[in-house]
Amino acid sequence: MKRIVELTINGEPRDMTVETCCSLLDALRDDVGLTGTKKGCDVGDCGACTVIVDGQPVNACLMLAVEAEGCTVETVEGLQPGVDTLHPLQDAFMRHGASQCGFCTPGILMMAKKLLDDNPRPTDEDIRFGLSGNICRCTGYTKIFDAIKSAALEMEAARS
Amino acid sequence: MNINTPIEEREFKIVGKSVKRDDVLEKVTGEAEYTGDVKLAGMLHGKIKRAAIAHARIKSIDVSKALAYPGVKAVLTHENVPRVLHYGSPHPRSASCTKDQYILDDKVRFWGEGVAAVAAISEEIADEALDLIEVEYEALPAVFEPEDAALPGAPLIHDVGPGGNLVLDPVRVNRGDVEAGFAQADFILEGTFSGGRPHPAYMEPNVCIADWDGSNKLTFWTSTQTSFMVRGILAEVLGLPLTKVRVLVDHMGGGFGAKQDCFQHEFLCALLAKETRRPVKMEFTRHETFVAGRARHPCKVWLKQGFKNDGTLVARDMKLVYDSGAYGSHGPGVTIVGTTAATSLYRCENVRLEGRCVYTNTPINGAFRGYGVVQSYYALDIQMDEAAERLGMDPADLKLKNVVRAGDIAPSGHPIVGHGLEICLQHGIDVLDWKSLRNRDRTPDPKRPHIRKGWGIGCEMHGSSAYPGIKEQGNATVKVNEDGTVTLLTGAAGLGTGAHTALAQIVAEELGVRFEDVGVIHGDTDVVPWDIGAFASHTTYLVGTAAKMAATKVRASVLERAAMKLQVKADELDLSEGKIFVTAEPGRFMSVAEAMGPSRGIPAANIVANGTYEPTKSYSFAAHFTEVHVDTETGIVEVKRVVPVHDIGRVIHPIAAQGQIEGGIQQGIGHTLTEDYVIDKKTGRSLNAGLVDYKMPLSMDMPDIETIILEAAPDPGGPWGAKGVGEDPIIAIGPSIANAIYDAIGVRFHHYPITPEDILKALREKGA
Repeated sequence: MKRIVELTINGEPRDMTVETCCSLLDALRDDVGLTGTKKGCDVGDCGACTVIVDGQPVNACLMLAVEAEGCTVETVEGLQPGVDTLHPLQDAFMRHGASQCGFCTPGILMMAKKLLDDNPRPTDEDIRFGLSGNICRCTGYTKIFDAIKSAALEMEAARS
Repeated sequence: MNINTPIEEREFKIVGKSVKRDDVLEKVTGEAEYTGDVKLAGMLHGKIKRAAIAHARIKSIDVSKALAYPGVKAVLTHENVPRVLHYGSPHPRSASCTKDQYILDDKVRFWGEGVAAVAAISEEIADEALDLIEVEYEALPAVFEPEDAALPGAPLIHDVGPGGNLVLDPVRVNRGDVEAGFAQADFILEGTFSGGRPHPAYMEPNVCIADWDGSNKLTFWTSTQTSFMVRGILAEVLGLPLTKVRVLVDHMGGGFGAKQDCFQHEFLCALLAKETRRPVKMEFTRHETFVAGRARHPCKVWLKQGFKNDGTLVARDMKLVYDSGAYGSHGPGVTIVGTTAATSLYRCENVRLEGRCVYTNTPINGAFRGYGVVQSYYALDIQMDEAAERLGMDPADLKLKNVVRAGDIAPSGHPIVGHGLEICLQHGIDVLDWKSLRNRDRTPDPKRPHIRKGWGIGCEMHGSSAYPGIKEQGNATVKVNEDGTVTLLTGAAGLGTGAHTALAQIVAEELGVRFEDVGVIHGDTDVVPWDIGAFASHTTYLVGTAAKMAATKVRASVLERAAMKLQVKADELDLSEGKIFVTAEPGRFMSVAEAMGPSRGIPAANIVANGTYEPTKSYSFAAHFTEVHVDTETGIVEVKRVVPVHDIGRVIHPIAAQGQIEGGIQQGIGHTLTEDYVIDKKTGRSLNAGLVDYKMPLSMDMPDIETIILEAAPDPGGPWGAKGVGEDPIIAIGPSIANAIYDAIGVRFHHYPITPEDILKALREKGA
């Protein structure tokens, strides 16, 4: 049975017509066409599908699309503040080599955004703990830690 | 031939700088298109019915209910697919490997092997239809361990091959006189070692899409490291000319070696699309990525070495048995490379090696970063530590004494040119003040005396290119456009290593244009020059040299054209940062765009050149220095700090090179401590085919890594001396951890993964 779900995605009002069993991940990728969010396991183990729903990071594969009715969803496609501007995290990920194959990158960027929104001056331990649900198999995380620390400093400087 | 001219010294403008990677811009914005993101009109979804038995003959298979299920468009079984015996790992030289595979067979050789495939209008319907396929099996006796499979009278898994469940005839290497060597020895060490079944666990599950057009041409999107090999084997098995198979791959979510085979689902996807005349997508679940993917070969090693009292190695006798799983895949390559690698690393004139590779009724093992050498060097390096202890020497001193030197014969059979292991070891010893480190207290925190600290060293060397197993060829085409920009066409896959960026840097540097002016076209077998695939740490070395050769040629053509316009001779001109100028009169210049573009009566130029390079091999080297903390109450080993010292010749992109090293260390820590894809020894069933039960090191587990890259020993075969880097880190980290654990708690482990249970058991036994 299909249902129409009305929600806000990256600031735009959208509706999706989905089967009630459809995950938010499949709805975003297949119905809305936002394929930036990746499917690495589909069972909530890898964090590649992390999106922010009403301010909370979630594994989009573990949330039904119908549960997102009336919610505000942020995905990697909404991270850029403007067409030609990167979010400081995106820029830092590029400069520090924090993305190799890039499959985990959208999920890690969203988790890192949530981390810095809540905690603008994270310690190394805060960053490690914050990313503990996101698997990266390429980088050894070192460059990801560097990028998040660097972005935090730049965002701090921009605020002051 | 390898280029053997001296390496040109120059001041680099682009090489050696961590320029921004274009592919990463797409990745951080979410725009990067991976195979799973491709959606075609009318696309069907394919699924595979997998056997829940490890060894059986299919007595009957009834697909009538599945075919009748609404939404199902096609069902394939062994009864209606082409029966073509083929080799699953289509390397150019796999001609020498025994073909052992059919797309679908009437026999099942491992739990999880595909026995039928369905295409339907949705993934859910395809999944439901799988349950409607009724298969009746006649169970066969199965073997899950190579020792059992090699016993006389063991059930035979294949009718082909040398027999006795061997994948290939034993690999034997003999140098010098081993018996005479042992006779000279003051003492002999002998031990058995073993390695588990780590899985690459790349983030992007295998996925492909097949689409046939009206001219019977197959367009095939797939996440592969080896698009031309996939094209070749698909054409061979489906009976098509190469003009009728086009393989496309843009971004891919990791592979680490394993995405080199042509997998069963890839053939089935192509056939389902042909049968239905609609595009079909087939995407693995994470569970399938384990069951039907490729893991590292489990290995048993027996190693006996003779030493003199001054530490000289006088004899090495080694036997290795690799578990291939149910099919050959990379078994032959891994066995040859892993076995012959043991001729080297630590010098020894008298060497006798025997490598075997055995079929078992377990999932297929394939190529994985470190290709066979992880297993053999784990044993060599740990036994070197044991010898140091026996001699009362510091292991660093013994390793330094014995590591191979320039001019020694490499495993490939030719003298090593660029040799940096000695320098890496010495550098690490110096920067860490190794001797004083080891003399410090083993209990870092007096309040927690159950935490014991230890340090270990692991050494390795690894070749760029698969020579001599495969005589490789790198190709590149470089075009200069009429506005002065440059297009590089390459068949090398973009696994995420940054290889395309490195290639663009090389072209820009050689040609004399800005990095931003070079665009890279890749991933379309109809467009780019043939490529062997991205593996064996060779893209920068091999394709990089080919790209440099092509750039040299177009540079000369551009200068000739500018000379015509400037009314001088070409050899009077120089080209730098996109500007062509008269060397003697730098005030007389024109841009590459002006040289290339049209002028009165002269059309725009078409300047294109190819580079083809067929090298032998270079070797890269590393010594890893690792600190571990062992909790003697829980058995948990924490890797606290790693100082990896690598010689990779000329560094093209420092951050990308560091990233390779750090990522390899992450995987190697997993292999050594927590990762093992476990197959039940009674049924052959996978016990932990998922990312929660298969334990990889994550953000909380990573040590501080202080990467040191020395441009110690450039090899003239690579561009300005560049060598490979991808595989080295995963080889050195393992023994460094095992040796550090011994240093911490005085217990030797000869296997991986070394689990907390192993540590506690060993400590109990030691106490008793």
